[in-house]
Amino acid sequence: MTIYETEVPGVGHKFEMDLDGDERLVVIIHHDGKRDVYRRPDPDADSEQLFSLTGKQARQLGSILEGAYFQPVELDEVEVPLGDAIIEWYEVGDSELAGQTLKQADLRDRIGVSVIAIQRGDETIPNPRPGTRIEVQDTVVAIGTREEQQALSDFLGE
Amino acid sequence: MAAGLLEVGVAIAVLALAGMVALRVGLSVIPAYIVAGILVGPNPPTSVAGVSLQIVPTGEFVAIAAEIGIVLLLFFLGLEFSVGQLLTDWRRITATGTVDFLINFGLGVALGIAFGRTPLETVFIAGVVYISSSAIVTKSLIEQGWVANPEADSILGTLVYEDVLIAVYLAVLTAVVGGAGEPSAVAVDVARAFAVLGAIAAVAWYATEYVERAFDLPTDELFLLSVVGTTTLIAGAALATGVSEAVAAFFVGTAFSQTGHVEKIEDLVAPVRDFFAAVFFLSIGLETDVTLLSDVALLLGVAVVATTLSKLVSGTIGGRIYGLSPTRSLRTGIGLVPRGEFSLVIAALATSAGGTLAEVVPAFAVGYVLAMSVVGTVLIQEADSVTGTLVPLFERS
Repeated sequence: MTIYETEVPGVGHKFEMDLDGDERLVVIIHHDGKRDVYRRPDPDADSEQLFSLTGKQARQLGSILEGAYFQPVELDEVEVPLGDAIIEWYEVGDSELAGQTLKQADLRDRIGVSVIAIQRGDETIPNPRPGTRIEVQDTVVAIGTREEQQALSDFLGE
Repeated sequence: MAAGLLEVGVAIAVLALAGMVALRVGLSVIPAYIVAGILVGPNPPTSVAGVSLQIVPTGEFVAIAAEIGIVLLLFFLGLEFSVGQLLTDWRRITATGTVDFLINFGLGVALGIAFGRTPLETVFIAGVVYISSSAIVTKSLIEQGWVANPEADSILGTLVYEDVLIAVYLAVLTAVVGGAGEPSAVAVDVARAFAVLGAIAAVAWYATEYVERAFDLPTDELFLLSVVGTTTLIAGAALATGVSEAVAAFFVGTAFSQTGHVEKIEDLVAPVRDFFAAVFFLSIGLETDVTLLSDVALLLGVAVVATTLSKLVSGTIGGRIYGLSPTRSLRTGIGLVPRGEFSLVIAALATSAGGTLAEVVPAFAVGYVLAMSVVGTVLIQEADSVTGTLVPLFERS
């Protein structure tokens, strides 16, 4: 895709972008920051002005079009795909968990969290079985509510 | 002191009023400022219906403010002068600009000769009718939306060529007018002017980095003062050595054009330019003696008709060089019809020369700019019906 840029003396810069077919989008950026957006349906037609934006409006529109636009939202209103559950990572270190199998540790009944993966060096053990042994330096990936995660964190002495 | 303050106050209030009227009728402010100057100035008509209108004397403030107006107009011409565009598009710009120059300047020379003017007057007249008004043309392009069309390229390309040529033209003419008169002495003066301007241009070209850093100032106020101060100082020094202050200001503008300060200057200095340029247009009106217009009335009438047509022709050829359709080519011509500030800068130079040059050329230039700024703006507004009528005629033939 080609975008043509030309200087417009006394005005600012002009950018032209090919759309589908012969249609072309023309953006004039004035020296004072104002942006005029035109559409030219085909090469023989005249450009029609679509809208005019201030510099600030243009930057916001630009990031929306880019898909990068976001507004900070209240954390309480965040909806996550797992409902109340969140996923956390824990360094096991040499806590009392080290050396136990998942069945022995019995984290699901004692704390409520479920271990969904164990990372060991470069290797990841997804969906570990009850007999899988947790070792020193492992990272445990656990899913649970915020409170359950806090309990596990306390249990591990972090 | 009170008289001086009153002079300034009246001048600015008159400009504001004239601007409002121009806005109301949808015409460029430039002719409105000139007409206001003619009405309130010391030359006839001095009264309308028995009410004296002789309220603004051409005092020192107006004279100096007008001069700053010229300097800032040319400074912005240099600032907005696109070396990049000239380099990337030089073939088409050169071809189109040369056609525009040969036809319109040539016609000006022909008019001067036909009306028995002296060679120097003829060169002035040719300059006045040749150069289109960047201010009016650019504003009209935006208002009509043409700025987003291909004809903007040919119109603005022609303006770029005209900008270069007017700098050379002013440099030569200032040296000739201020010089000794003998051909050999004139040649020396012209050469000296070019040496000085060449030095300024060389500094402007190579000093980009220095200018970038030197004007990296912490406050807007300091920035504004430094830019206007530097420009006025260099222009004044140039004038003191007999070199065109306008062209010196043009080169100072080009020194800034390659830096990152352009947008800031457009923001901060443009309003200052608009202010002083308005006073410049007013002062042109103040100095105009409309009774002198009758001496040049026939020349004026012929020039208005002939040079409107000649711009349409040269613009249409220019548009074809850019490969535009007949309608857009004709629009290139229509877009370039308005003449304005630069024709008046030439007239101001003629005024400073004194003698018959100061009588004939300014009167002609003022009448001509008044007519062409209005004719040009109206033509652009009615462009669709003009092209709708003319283009089918060409296509049939």
